[in-house]
Amino acid sequence: MHLKYESFIREPLVDGNKTYKDVTADICRPIEQKPSKLWYFGLVVSLLFLGFGAFSVFWEVYWGIGVWGINHTIGWGWDITNFVWWVGIGHAGTLISAILLLFRQHWRTGVNRAAEAMTIFAVMCAGQFPIFHMGRVWDAMYVLPLPNTRGPLWPNFNSALLWDVFAISTYFTVSLLFWYSGLIPDFATIRDRAKTKLRKRLYGLASFGWTGTAKNWQRFEALSLVLAGLSTPLVLSVHTIVSFDFATSVIPGWHATIFPPYFVAGAIFSGFAMVNTLLILVRKIYHLEEYITMGHIEAMNKVIVLTGSIVGIAYLTELFMAWYSQVVYEQEAFKWRVLGPYWWSYWAMMTCNVVSPQFFWFKKLRRNIVFSFILSIVVNIGMWFERFVIIATTLYRDYIPSNWSYYSPTWPELGFYLGTFGLFFTCFLLFSKYFPVIAIAEIKFVLKTTGDKAHEDNLALEEKSLEEFIHIAEHAH
Amino acid sequence: MSQKKYWKGLEELANTPEYQQSVANEFNEELPLDLSDNLLNATTPRRDFLKFLGFSTLAATVAASCEMPVRKAIPYAIKPEDIIPGVPNYYASTFVDNGDIIPVVVKTREGRPIMIEGNTLSTITAGGSSARMVAATLSLYDKTRLRQPHVDGKPVDTFDAVDSGIMSGLAAGGAIYLLTGTISSPTTEQSIAQFLAKYPTAKHVTYDPVSYSGMLLANEASYGSRMIPNYLFEKAKTIFSLGADFLGTWLSPVEFSKGYTIGRKIEGKNAKTAEMAKHYQVEGMLSMTGANADERATCKPSEYGKVAAALYSAVTTGAAPNTGSKNLDKMLVKAAADLKKGNGLVVSGSNDVNVQIIINAINNAIGANGTTIDFANPLKYKKGIDADMVALVDAMNAGQVSSLLIHGVNPAYEYFDGVKFLAGLKKVKTTVSFSDRLDETAKECKYVVSDHHWLESWGDAEPKANYISFIQPTIAPLFKTRAFQDSLLKWAGATGTYHDLFNAYWNGKLGQATFDKALQDGIIEPATPAVSGASFSGNVADAIAKASAVKGGEYEIVVFQNVAMGHGGAWSNNPWLQEMPDPVTKVAWDNYVMMSPKTAKEKFEAELTSINQVDPKKRLLKLKVGNKEVTLPVIVTPGMHHNVVAVAVGYGRSEGVGRAAANLGKNTYPLVSFNGTFTYNAPVTIEKTAEFYPVAVTQTHNSAETRPIIYEYTLEKFKENPYELIDERREAIEHYLTAPNEEHHEGHDAYGKGDKFDAKKFEEDFRKNGTHYPVHESMGLHWAMSIDLNTCTGCAACVIACQAENNVSVVGKDRVIKVQEMSWLKIDRYFSGDPNDPDTIQTVFQPMLCQHCDNAPCENVCPVSATNHSSEGLNQMAYNRCIGTKYCANNCPFKVRRFNWFDWNGADCFDDNLYEDGRRDDINDDLTRMVLNPDVTVRSRGVMEKCSFCVQRLQDGKLTAKKEGTPLKDHHVKTACQSACANGCITFGNVNDKESAVFQDRYVNNKERLFYMLESIHVLPNVSYLSKIRNTDVVMNGSEHDEVYNKHI
Repeated sequence: MHLKYESFIREPLVDGNKTYKDVTADICRPIEQKPSKLWYFGLVVSLLFLGFGAFSVFWEVYWGIGVWGINHTIGWGWDITNFVWWVGIGHAGTLISAILLLFRQHWRTGVNRAAEAMTIFAVMCAGQFPIFHMGRVWDAMYVLPLPNTRGPLWPNFNSALLWDVFAISTYFTVSLLFWYSGLIPDFATIRDRAKTKLRKRLYGLASFGWTGTAKNWQRFEALSLVLAGLSTPLVLSVHTIVSFDFATSVIPGWHATIFPPYFVAGAIFSGFAMVNTLLILVRKIYHLEEYITMGHIEAMNKVIVLTGSIVGIAYLTELFMAWYSQVVYEQEAFKWRVLGPYWWSYWAMMTCNVVSPQFFWFKKLRRNIVFSFILSIVVNIGMWFERFVIIATTLYRDYIPSNWSYYSPTWPELGFYLGTFGLFFTCFLLFSKYFPVIAIAEIKFVLKTTGDKAHEDNLALEEKSLEEFIHIAEHAH
Repeated sequence: MSQKKYWKGLEELANTPEYQQSVANEFNEELPLDLSDNLLNATTPRRDFLKFLGFSTLAATVAASCEMPVRKAIPYAIKPEDIIPGVPNYYASTFVDNGDIIPVVVKTREGRPIMIEGNTLSTITAGGSSARMVAATLSLYDKTRLRQPHVDGKPVDTFDAVDSGIMSGLAAGGAIYLLTGTISSPTTEQSIAQFLAKYPTAKHVTYDPVSYSGMLLANEASYGSRMIPNYLFEKAKTIFSLGADFLGTWLSPVEFSKGYTIGRKIEGKNAKTAEMAKHYQVEGMLSMTGANADERATCKPSEYGKVAAALYSAVTTGAAPNTGSKNLDKMLVKAAADLKKGNGLVVSGSNDVNVQIIINAINNAIGANGTTIDFANPLKYKKGIDADMVALVDAMNAGQVSSLLIHGVNPAYEYFDGVKFLAGLKKVKTTVSFSDRLDETAKECKYVVSDHHWLESWGDAEPKANYISFIQPTIAPLFKTRAFQDSLLKWAGATGTYHDLFNAYWNGKLGQATFDKALQDGIIEPATPAVSGASFSGNVADAIAKASAVKGGEYEIVVFQNVAMGHGGAWSNNPWLQEMPDPVTKVAWDNYVMMSPKTAKEKFEAELTSINQVDPKKRLLKLKVGNKEVTLPVIVTPGMHHNVVAVAVGYGRSEGVGRAAANLGKNTYPLVSFNGTFTYNAPVTIEKTAEFYPVAVTQTHNSAETRPIIYEYTLEKFKENPYELIDERREAIEHYLTAPNEEHHEGHDAYGKGDKFDAKKFEEDFRKNGTHYPVHESMGLHWAMSIDLNTCTGCAACVIACQAENNVSVVGKDRVIKVQEMSWLKIDRYFSGDPNDPDTIQTVFQPMLCQHCDNAPCENVCPVSATNHSSEGLNQMAYNRCIGTKYCANNCPFKVRRFNWFDWNGADCFDDNLYEDGRRDDINDDLTRMVLNPDVTVRSRGVMEKCSFCVQRLQDGKLTAKKEGTPLKDHHVKTACQSACANGCITFGNVNDKESAVFQDRYVNNKERLFYMLESIHVLPNVSYLSKIRNTDVVMNGSEHDEVYNKHI
């Protein structure tokens, strides 16, 4: 019997017998090549969406919020639904970068760069909604605690909406710093490989004169750790605070202490689904299957089934609490949510978010690329409905029955939403063209221990007898 | 003494030529300004440069500022003596509209009337108002009003141009007819008399589009005099109404409403001995009055004769009624017994002479004449006899009329056979209209000499014999119009004006001093009103035989006036009234077919429930009466008789009436028929169509869902245990009455039992202990409102008063459909009972406005503190600070906050983005904007607004009290809704003042009926409600009979 130096379970994180040189070449290839037609097509489509979104927003700002379908019973509709949805999506990146870094989950190296980029773009999209849902967006600066001549007049620090302003902006800032600091060594790599002057110049600027000295690396590591430590609470805080928008209100269906954990789980759920959607596309388009392996996809799917189940339990808990509380408004709010005119949105949410991820208990399905892709989209649809259910189908049947109404979106609302897709994909396509979509430096850290090459070396080791192995191990360093 | 000479220096003393020169030249140093080309080479280029820079910057600024909008604010060159800018003047006047008469006080600011309130000196209406009365200011500033006389549809510049033509037409001889609505003005009658005297062939025909001929003729037959007696609802203990909407539209609803609610006021402290008038209603449709009834049963309108006969027999012989409806029979037995107890009053809305004769006989039998019906001061609201009008139209068609002068009515639209009228009109040589607009009739008339609006006129009105109310102009005529009376006098060749006649008449009658005082007060009334009866001498048997023989159909239609629009007229073009939701159906901006849920579901594929409640698209139904046909959307309404449908008049107007009215809904007057008198009901055939039409319904859910937002008790139960509501409140919030670390009080002893209950302490403990946070001390003023659900009839006068007072925007039909309306005050209407059994339906009206919570959920969620709390308990809005996140509206449990979705009124900083829908837009015309209250900000797009408790009135009241040097008392402040309410259902004041009505109401007189909406969520509203007491056997709301709730409709 041979000894097993390598885990039975863990598969390699980098497939294909890659050397450091291969890694650099593979990941830098999209940056150094002319983009494909598909990329141009994607960019044009994204820009069209962005343009339509900009027009929709212009239309809304010019004429007034009335061009949307919301009304005095349902004061938030697609706007805040989309806001929460995008913020939720923006969760995966930091979770992957920060929490998985602290937990030493090495598989994160293949996906963290793209996930962080996604986070930043998603938060950018999310931010549009609370800004442009204001009736007087030109006075938006009133929410900032700026010194002023109006008294001075400060914002209302009791308002959950104000907490949002701080939470989102902090999250965005830290995520951006984290993402950018990770990019510095890779920018230096591109700079060093650059064959044109302009590229050398620009990437040289972007890499802040990185030289790759030991001191550089030491500081880089320290900074990563500090930022990881800073972002870890943010992962939990952002969506907790977003949930406070609802939880601190008096409206039955919103006023619930379960909201913070439920929102955070939901956010991770949707974030991972979105990462999956994007990575499956990226690995296909840029031929990065060897770096973003089936193992990565499966790991993500496992998180999806876990968080999906948490969200499912949260839904059931809400129903249970409504019954158990014996509060008539709470009970009725949920009754109307489940069985009222908006029943379809509740059941769409239930099907997409609770039922569908359960398929990931099967390993075969977890490792099926097509199924994973479809399901990741299903989950995002479901999570959109969750926000819609929480917002619109709570407001449409609250305390006083005479106020009850109905809501359907109009084209400017739809346009605004599509516009944020345009913004998101425009940013993402530019990112995938000009930035290394996988962290070159970080993948090299793990290549030595978990790459195919290491695997082969290990196989050789495993052929050895125990004594020989001990001898090699003792004299290896 | 020689003059001394002083010198200032040696130079002056020497007085050299150099010195003289320097004195002559004041600026002897050269200005350091180099205007030559070599500026930069000058000795001081830097300074000059700075000067030029300064000048040019300033010049550029001034030049750029030329784009400042020009505001048309013109100061008084010579200030009128009685106008102080910013200080309103009040004038007593009288609202007169087609027989409807309400004494009013008009508030004017800088010479323009902006608000109309009831005249509290009048004993008839006692300061009450109706929606239309308040909305009259908007009609004054109606852009569609004609600005000069018209001939052949074309404007002419002088009155002479029309007068000569008309006078030669009149002088040409032939039959001259003066067609008017009911004239109740003594001096107008005088001027008509002068006109008739000048032209011997002239006749005066009175025509009321909504006719009371049936009553007039029945009274002639019964009492020998063609009049309508005075109904004293306040004296009635039992009221039986057979299809009379006396709270909404019948005769004088404001007066009746005031009287009616006197009999329905309940004080909790006297609960054990409480008495309450009992109101029975039998009708085909669900009217607003029916919605207020204690007991209600339905029948087809063709059966009114039968029902009246059955009641007559039950009252006189005690015979068991047999009308074919068990509910109705049971109710008639009960009603007969109650009516016989004395102080009964029976009224009917039927225009059938025979039905009215039977009603008279019943009133005679129960001894109502002389107690609840007064013959000493008969009503003068309606005098038209339908047959006269029909005869006139026949004469016109026969070519027997040479001149027709039409005032106050619009037969082309309102006459049941408008086509025939128009055909006849073509055969009349000289046609004159006094209409204020080119309406359906006026546009077919040769001459249009518009009358003044009543707010621009002198005049008088006599609502009842011996009761006079004066009309004073509150503004100079806006346009080249002439008083109707002046036109008549002119054509009669009189030398004086109507004003002379008016002065002479009243001076002669009253003497100058009394007349002046009367003008100031607005009214003259008899000191001690005499009440007298009359003896009945009608032929009941004949009437019963004839009335019972009326044939019905499978389905019958009722053509009615709705509360907002009335008979139509100029009101159709009043956007406030168009947007006022109907009290019963809650529909704005349209007329429609009201139909029972059962019939709608089984026969016409229209439902009350499920998605239909929120879907604005309603199925179109084709109604056929004889050869007349209209297609209207169906609104499913519980409480309708299964075989009765109802349609309102006042819609389907022509372009000339105005933008708001044109082609909206359908004209339903053609469905009226003439049968001796106009008949407003008829057999109808109904066809389902496959088409749908969007209707703006402001309340889509009909059940209060047994939620503790409304409390209702039967009178009997309330008398048995008046403290039930107190116990319910205690149970709901018991655990929050003591601080968390204290022990809970056991039982109810802490606050006293029964009438010893300390409502104030109870509230204060809850206020303090129901929260973790410190409680703000409330010192000085603390504004509070109490609303009595028992006396709210749903008439919506308060809604329009609020709109007029607070510049509340009109949004138009499309935006009402989108639930984006702006009304600060709305009246919620809930049904309970079994929708399949119209006789079980009970209705409750609940005025809903900002509750001014002391622990307001809207306040803490606003990110910028735009909504905050005043030290006087107001939840106030700082519009300038609001950025429009709508979070406050979402977090408002009452959903009473209103967001400015668009630029409704041009207050926005963007150009050219005013919201327009083609219908409501005249409201932003410069003329129409004169109606705006200058004390209230016009809100811009993107900000939230809501009820402010009329903060401008509070401020004014505080100043008045301060000037008087007295503490503020109730009489210093009245909110707009409060003063509009004829029923006194709204009480407002400083709740920290133990003498205030609101304090007394809450903690002394009516603590048994007091409740707060959603009390248990501890938002601490400053608006409280008093429970509804029904004088009936069972309250449906929440009971097992309440299918509206049980089936979740």
